[in-house]
Amino acid sequence: MLKYFAKRIVLGLVTIWFIASATFFGMHAVPGDPLAGDKAMTAQIRANLEAKYGLDQPLGTQYLIYLGNIAQGDFGISFTQENRRVNDIIREHFPISATLGILAIVFAGLGGVLWGALTALYRNRWPDVVIMFLVILGISVPSFVVAAISQWSLVGLNLATGTAVLPIGGWGTVWHMLVPALVLGLSTMAYLTRLMRSSMLEVVSTDYIRTAKAKGLPATQIFSRHQLRNAILPVVTVLGPAIAGITTGGFVVEIVFAIPGLGRYFVQAIQQLDYTVIMGTTVFYGAFLVFMVILVDLVYGFIDPRVRVEK
Amino acid sequence: MSTSHLTPADFQPLQGSVSGQQISRPSLSYWADAWRRLQDNPRAMASMGLIAFLLAFVSVGPYLWQVDPSVQDLDQIGIGPGADRSVTLAPPFQPWLPEQQSTILADNAMGLTLTMPATTQAVRLMWARADGERYRLYRNLFDPSDTGSFGLPLAELDRSYFEDRLDLQAGTYFYSLVMLDANGAETATAITQTVNVTRVISVAEAIERGLIKTEAEAQLGQELKLAWHPLGTDYLGRDMLARLMYGGQVSLFIGIFAPLAFVLLGVIYGSVAGFLGGATDQAMMRFADFVVALPFLLFMILFKVIFGIGPGESGIWPMLVAMIILLWPAPARLVRGQILQIREEGYVSASRLLGGTTSYVVGRHMLPNTLGVILVTMTFQVPSAIFTEAFLSFIGMGVAPPTPSWGAMCNEGIKSMLTRPHELMFPALLISITVLAFNLLGDGLRDALDARMRGTE
Amino acid sequence: MSEPILQVANLHVDFQTYGGVVQAVRGVSFDVCAGQTLAIVGESGCGKSVTVQSLMGLIPMPPGRIHQGSAHLRGHDILASKIIDGQDIRGSQISMIFQDPMTSLNPTMNIGSQIAETLEVHKGYSKSDAFARAIELLDMSKIPEAAKRAKQYPFEFSGGMLQRAMIAMAIACEPAILVADEPTTALDVTIQAQILDLLGDLQQETGMAIILITHDLGVVARMADEVMVMYAGEVVERGGVDDIFYRSGHPYTQGLRLAMPTNNQDTEANQTLVAIDGSPPDLFNPPRGCAYHPRCPYAMQVCAEQAPPTRTLGADHQAQCWLHHEMAGALPDGLVSASKVGQ
Repeated sequence: MLKYFAKRIVLGLVTIWFIASATFFGMHAVPGDPLAGDKAMTAQIRANLEAKYGLDQPLGTQYLIYLGNIAQGDFGISFTQENRRVNDIIREHFPISATLGILAIVFAGLGGVLWGALTALYRNRWPDVVIMFLVILGISVPSFVVAAISQWSLVGLNLATGTAVLPIGGWGTVWHMLVPALVLGLSTMAYLTRLMRSSMLEVVSTDYIRTAKAKGLPATQIFSRHQLRNAILPVVTVLGPAIAGITTGGFVVEIVFAIPGLGRYFVQAIQQLDYTVIMGTTVFYGAFLVFMVILVDLVYGFIDPRVRVEK
Repeated sequence: MSTSHLTPADFQPLQGSVSGQQISRPSLSYWADAWRRLQDNPRAMASMGLIAFLLAFVSVGPYLWQVDPSVQDLDQIGIGPGADRSVTLAPPFQPWLPEQQSTILADNAMGLTLTMPATTQAVRLMWARADGERYRLYRNLFDPSDTGSFGLPLAELDRSYFEDRLDLQAGTYFYSLVMLDANGAETATAITQTVNVTRVISVAEAIERGLIKTEAEAQLGQELKLAWHPLGTDYLGRDMLARLMYGGQVSLFIGIFAPLAFVLLGVIYGSVAGFLGGATDQAMMRFADFVVALPFLLFMILFKVIFGIGPGESGIWPMLVAMIILLWPAPARLVRGQILQIREEGYVSASRLLGGTTSYVVGRHMLPNTLGVILVTMTFQVPSAIFTEAFLSFIGMGVAPPTPSWGAMCNEGIKSMLTRPHELMFPALLISITVLAFNLLGDGLRDALDARMRGTE
Repeated sequence: MSEPILQVANLHVDFQTYGGVVQAVRGVSFDVCAGQTLAIVGESGCGKSVTVQSLMGLIPMPPGRIHQGSAHLRGHDILASKIIDGQDIRGSQISMIFQDPMTSLNPTMNIGSQIAETLEVHKGYSKSDAFARAIELLDMSKIPEAAKRAKQYPFEFSGGMLQRAMIAMAIACEPAILVADEPTTALDVTIQAQILDLLGDLQQETGMAIILITHDLGVVARMADEVMVMYAGEVVERGGVDDIFYRSGHPYTQGLRLAMPTNNQDTEANQTLVAIDGSPPDLFNPPRGCAYHPRCPYAMQVCAEQAPPTRTLGADHQAQCWLHHEMAGALPDGLVSASKVGQ
């Protein structure tokens, strides 16, 4: 088990190196010198950048400097903002995105398991039909539309009641987080619900559920101890990709709800073509997602004895 | 049961009693059987109908509705579907000289008065002013007593009149005049005036728009009809229906061709790796693993930044190329797995033993057996490609304006969502319907093509 | 013979499917007595598993349906409800082991807990007591290092060990009846014998009745006291194990027997195995008359017209076949008539 995860972490580090290299060489394929542009760059920024990235050095040396910086956890300095380090930007904005993301994944996970189990129990009866219709809707409507509609509904709600029931944007209290987190988790929840439903239906017809019935166990115990636990396993395996989806989905939700998270900052940096921030943030996000996938595997190992013992 | 009527004849041996093996049902080929099962699935058939309709909408549609999607109808900016198209013929705009005009002010707190009927040319307001007083004038589309907000601040004034010519549309406006104190802060003294703006057009403009032919037949005060926009116009006055058709071309092109291209690439890569096997296979698949580990949307953004969009380019091709570069490994892994699995199957060995050549085995057994999986994967990749296009366009990294795409239209529409919801809703609806149709078709195909799924659901 | 504990009469089970109604079990009756082993024999799809699974309430309903018949356990009707005196009889009065032990145990729960669960539910044991008892039961089922094995998961067991664990689970509450649904089919031949010995030993110790479902006549010969031969959802012959093997009165039983290899050199040297031609009837639409007549080498006109009556061929030995009718000619070789029983 320990050896397996040591291997996974080494492989993860190699993956991060690959991401960082792809980012570096990709960015250097941009035609012309990005720093020589007409951007509002002060002499101060220019001097900082040259010192930081060794821009007067050959490409190979620049690459080594860049890798060295990343190895030290230094993601670089901003291109458009004087003396602003990417690390500071991440430190300031990422906790907000992370809070939103964790809340969203909790919503999505709990909701997916709950609704999926419910639809499987009421298979082909009205709760199943209604929930699966909503699930199809949740999968088919783009997240920014869901975000826009929910914000629009919030405006309507606040207008109708004459008071601010829930804030329509911004950040600060739990109330600010509620609707954005739900919106962010919605499509993942829909996806997990579908997965949970089919997983439940598969487990229901397995031999060990038949054994449990033959043992005369009460239905509630069969459901909780035998069916649910086995049905959740496939749901856990897709949490890694789900976290990636929620991370990028966060960009949209943060923009629509004016949440000062890293996603919104990243999109701003893209629109301003702040190359160094784009590079730094991409590598940071990449590393974050790689480790999330490893974390999910670790969690899976604790749930599934087959993995726990074998590896 | 009575057995009394039995006769010895009943106990004669039955001729040809032992029945041999018999085939109870006619045999159907795999594809014919899959097609039959797909036809039995009403949701899949409905979604195929929807897809056919959408394809017709974007391909045949522009021939039926020949409106240029980039032409701006400046008289009808941001109108909803079915909006009133009537316009009154009016004299050309004349400059206003309020000092030379004597107006009887209305009998309200600040004497706020509309000095002449409000038109889309201008709204002219006057009020009673004492020396040294300053005001701020607001305009709102909603009643300030309901919303609690005066709306858009138009001007800060130290005179007693104001002419509003800013982007006026036919409809109701609420003008609010607030008195400011010596420090420039707002006081409680405020008044709101409701103004109904009528749409007018000058004779010269009407001729230019083709509404009337000559000046001679023009008659002031005459009602005319402006150009028809069945689904309204966007924030620049462009026809929504035409833009949806042309935008759909972009969205569906990316949505269908990107999966086609990267699945094809993946199939080639994966089958080559699967056939060669050994160290080559290992190396090829390890490389695919790394590409899979790249965070997809982040690298889509990165590629867009790298490629850049030159002047006059739509940015469709860079998006397509970036998708192909990033997304081929998933189908490659799938196909390789399938090839490795099928290679071990008994029927492949049997075919080889019976003298089947490699090309025969590949063509007769391996390809048909992977084709189903490839087809299903491709169908499910269409919604995600459409979502990707929409997502990138939404954060401003998609197709470059003025090229329309459904995602880009959503991005534009979301800004005016509260006042003109149709600009967001129509493209969003089309994206949702397309994604829904392809998802349902994918479900149906998967069920129909998976022989193990017989009889379930 | 002692008083029967389980009495099943005229059981009919069918399944509503898209293709129509499948009549899986058509009027099956039998009794089970304490300490006895009843073997139900027949080829795949003859309704033997459905018969016992319907008694255990393991058939999904719908599409399954018991539309006629009765089953009484010590006088209690068990078709309407599996609950007697507030307790589920499954696991406590009747327990069951299945064909494939590899898939019949929960993969994410350790073996000990899965056995202990039964004791907690039926006997009100505490968690730790139940687990301790589970270890004893594993030990009784001849699983070495039971204490260590109890904490392991199904994937760490071999097939034979898992079947032992299944047996330990089944006997945990000392049931009156153990239903073994093809308990050895999925196992290696050497393991099969061990499992059958274990079942036999446990039956000796506890005095429970065993209903053994199998298509393997070797297993029947080894284990059974009574045998019931099923074909197309009906019982075609029943009797003591010797009646079935040496005095069978139905062509189907004879067919089964001729298809079975033996190592009895004295009587059946140079034996040729004879397959039964054809395939079992379509139960959507069972043939008129005797269900076996399309495959029966001795079929007569009447067999295609009317269902055969039940004929008693000896004490506790009955067969359903027109060949035993007075008007039928001489019996073919190998079949035993009522009059010849005494010889």
